[in-house]
Amino acid sequence: MGYRIGIGKVRYMRIHRRKKEKTGDPLKDNMDLSQRYQEVQKMKLEPGLEQNLQTLQQVCGYSQDLKIRRFNINGQIPAALVYLDDMVNTLSVEEILRVLMVDVQRIEGWQKDRSLLRSAIKDLLIINSVEETDSIGELFLKMTHGNTALLVEGQAAAFVCGTVDIKNRDITEPLSETNIRGPRDGFVESLCINITLIRRRIRVPHLWIETFEIGSLTKTQVAIAYIKGLADEKMLEELRSRLERIDTDAILESGYIEQYIEDQPFTLFPLTLRTERPDIVCSSILSGRVAVLVTGSPHVLVLPADFPMFFQASDDYYEKPPQGSFVRILRWIGAIISVFLPGFYVAVVNFHQELLPTALLLRVTASREGVPFPVIAEILIMEVLFEVLREAGIRLPVAVGPAISIVGALVLGEAAIRAGIVSPAVVIVVAMTAIANFSNPVFSMAIVLRILRFAFTILAAVFGLFGIQFGILLLVVHLCSLRSLGIPYMSPLAPNIPSDMKDNFLLAPIWARTTRPKILGRREPVRQSPGQMPHPGKHSQEEIKGGNKDKNR
Amino acid sequence: MLFMMRTTVVIALLPVLTSSDALQDAWASAIVSFFGAALLVAMIAGLGVRFPDLTIVEYAQKLIGKWPGKAVCLVIIWAFLVIAATDTRIYAEALVIGFLTETPIPFIIFSMVITGATAAYSGLEVIGRTADLLFPIFVVMIVVSLAFAIPDATTMGSNLEPVLARGIGPVLRGSIIPTVVIAQYLCLTMIIPAANQPKKALGTALWALTGSTMMLVLITLAVTAILGPHQGSRAVFPFLSMVRAIYISVFLERVEMLALFAWGFGIFIAVSVFMYCGSRALAQVLGLDDYRPLIGPLAVIWGTFSVHSYQNLFQLRTFFQPKIGGPYILSWILIPMGILWAAYGIRRLAGGKPDEE
Repeated sequence: MGYRIGIGKVRYMRIHRRKKEKTGDPLKDNMDLSQRYQEVQKMKLEPGLEQNLQTLQQVCGYSQDLKIRRFNINGQIPAALVYLDDMVNTLSVEEILRVLMVDVQRIEGWQKDRSLLRSAIKDLLIINSVEETDSIGELFLKMTHGNTALLVEGQAAAFVCGTVDIKNRDITEPLSETNIRGPRDGFVESLCINITLIRRRIRVPHLWIETFEIGSLTKTQVAIAYIKGLADEKMLEELRSRLERIDTDAILESGYIEQYIEDQPFTLFPLTLRTERPDIVCSSILSGRVAVLVTGSPHVLVLPADFPMFFQASDDYYEKPPQGSFVRILRWIGAIISVFLPGFYVAVVNFHQELLPTALLLRVTASREGVPFPVIAEILIMEVLFEVLREAGIRLPVAVGPAISIVGALVLGEAAIRAGIVSPAVVIVVAMTAIANFSNPVFSMAIVLRILRFAFTILAAVFGLFGIQFGILLLVVHLCSLRSLGIPYMSPLAPNIPSDMKDNFLLAPIWARTTRPKILGRREPVRQSPGQMPHPGKHSQEEIKGGNKDKNR
Repeated sequence: MLFMMRTTVVIALLPVLTSSDALQDAWASAIVSFFGAALLVAMIAGLGVRFPDLTIVEYAQKLIGKWPGKAVCLVIIWAFLVIAATDTRIYAEALVIGFLTETPIPFIIFSMVITGATAAYSGLEVIGRTADLLFPIFVVMIVVSLAFAIPDATTMGSNLEPVLARGIGPVLRGSIIPTVVIAQYLCLTMIIPAANQPKKALGTALWALTGSTMMLVLITLAVTAILGPHQGSRAVFPFLSMVRAIYISVFLERVEMLALFAWGFGIFIAVSVFMYCGSRALAQVLGLDDYRPLIGPLAVIWGTFSVHSYQNLFQLRTFFQPKIGGPYILSWILIPMGILWAAYGIRRLAGGKPDEE
């Protein structure tokens, strides 16, 4: 029940509709892309070998990576192997050549009956797959997957031999999602390897993988992985229809897909969780979610996603529950600080000085002495500068990184305070906000919090703490109105689902989390049998008593 | 169903934070008000339970005919309008007095109305989820500010004595306002059809009432104990004044921010529910399919009404005098519900089964 390939429809480019139908020779220069595309799609292989080879070369403009190896089958029939450079396994290609040039003699009578040749080739080739096709477009597509085409004189079809050997990056630890405990493998750019990484962890045939082909030019393979019988069928149907609706020329990354399949496009919040970690994807699939994998992207989308998911890291589950809960609470506090602290500071200094204890207030006021800007300007300048610094840090070549951090830390921090341009309190606030923001494990959520921080700072400058309150209210209404693949985004907080709170702010021990999330896992709510709390057995108690006896002696 | 309970608890608690009469026996008034309020809630929710799939606009037309039904519902829409406007105004006044002394009141009112309108526009489900999310915060904040009051309240318990020294009269008079503000439960007549189990709505509403009465008793006890009976009844916002009087340590001097935030959350839920109910009811009266186009204009009316119906805080306080507010607010419940119950009763006696037509 491995792969279900070919469900997705091949989409043509939108542009062809406004062009007049113009038939012509695709080998000429005067055709535009959409016409050329359609012509190639119509082209078929001819019986003549040399003619076919020439067409193939002309269709792809004599590109240098199209390799042709001419030979004669058994020294008599001209044939050729066509493949794309560096995508095929050289040993397999050599094997095909050896078989066709030498071993083919073992089949008798193929010289007389040409139809026997077809079966001879299929029987002889020790290759895991041999398919036939007569369409040039399809042939080329298969070659881009690393297959080798065998063209034979007198055959109006090509044998596509599976010789895939595409070079891939090694499976390494994802750099953007590091953890202390847990597996260290991460997804790579190859769809097949990514699927393997999931299947190695979930070893039942019920892990279904459906493949779609999206993008009229990139022909990107997009796969959805789920557990049949656990994931909600309506949800899957909705996802399929959203994927099939996509009509575009290129899908280069899963981020493209993400934007096409979101429930509500006008929101800052990520409605799909994207991760590079197979363990996160597997645990999501096991609770009834769906993973979307895209060729060429190590980022796998998980949906439906809910808001609390973005504050959970896989470590939490691997550590003991108190540790996991502690870290989670810290993360929520970090998120609250990173959104509200600058706004709170502005509001307190501008409007609500009485909220601070007198000693602290005096300190803050003293530190603002002689600062030329109003608080809001000060905060905004420093926040923007910090964001620029952070963005620059990502793009920096490793070699000049330390230079920037010295300049950033010294010039922006120390010198600005010495010069009296900003107050030390503001630098503390900005630094705390920045550090708190780094505690968020998911980048796509962390960046939303960073943007929200600016909104709340401005609200606080206008309305004080009540601006922040109105902001919170609008934010909560917005968050509550979001859905991810039909599932309320704020669940299990709103709607409040008490049974799912075992895996939210606080983490219950694994033997106590006996159920799947209520909405997602409603088809199979029970994950494990209850009452598995470990306890010292009778046997070990006796042993301890025995030990004591021994000591007494 | 839980949402309804939560919303109504929140809504019922709101006036509690503002009005408290009857000197040292205010807590007794709170308990007495429970019985009157329970009766009114039964009156409001009772019909809804008998027509589980219909809003009041729909079953009123069924019971007393198309046009009379619509006319009766206008009273309820008026109630929604006044309640939401008053709630907003009270909150705005509290903010202006205590915190944002130089901010014009319309500014705050329209911020709140716009926020509420956004929620109402998103629909009842979103309001429900928002209430789900905010309710725990609301309760925790109020409980925490009450808990901070405990040390002070126990030392000044003598403020609560003598018990019932002036007889039962003032207690009864003091219970009038807490009873009639149960008019806020009128929103149930619009929400019940959207609940999961409309048949259980009455029970839920009564549980909500019990919960809010308990909070009310606790709050009045704390207020009277800390501020003393006379100052307590004179204070504009007794609960806020009480919380402001709390002094735990240097760092926890200003707990009233907590109470005010909680109050803001509560007001928000109330305003959005009333805006939803009001615009939905009006849409049904006018025979519109969708209530959303009405929200914009209604929000403007709401905001304007909130700004202009009271000149200042003293008018607001006068409105909540037992002599004025009592009969007026009571009429919102008694007139429509009385007519509808009478019609229901007559039809029942006449042998029909009005709820099955």
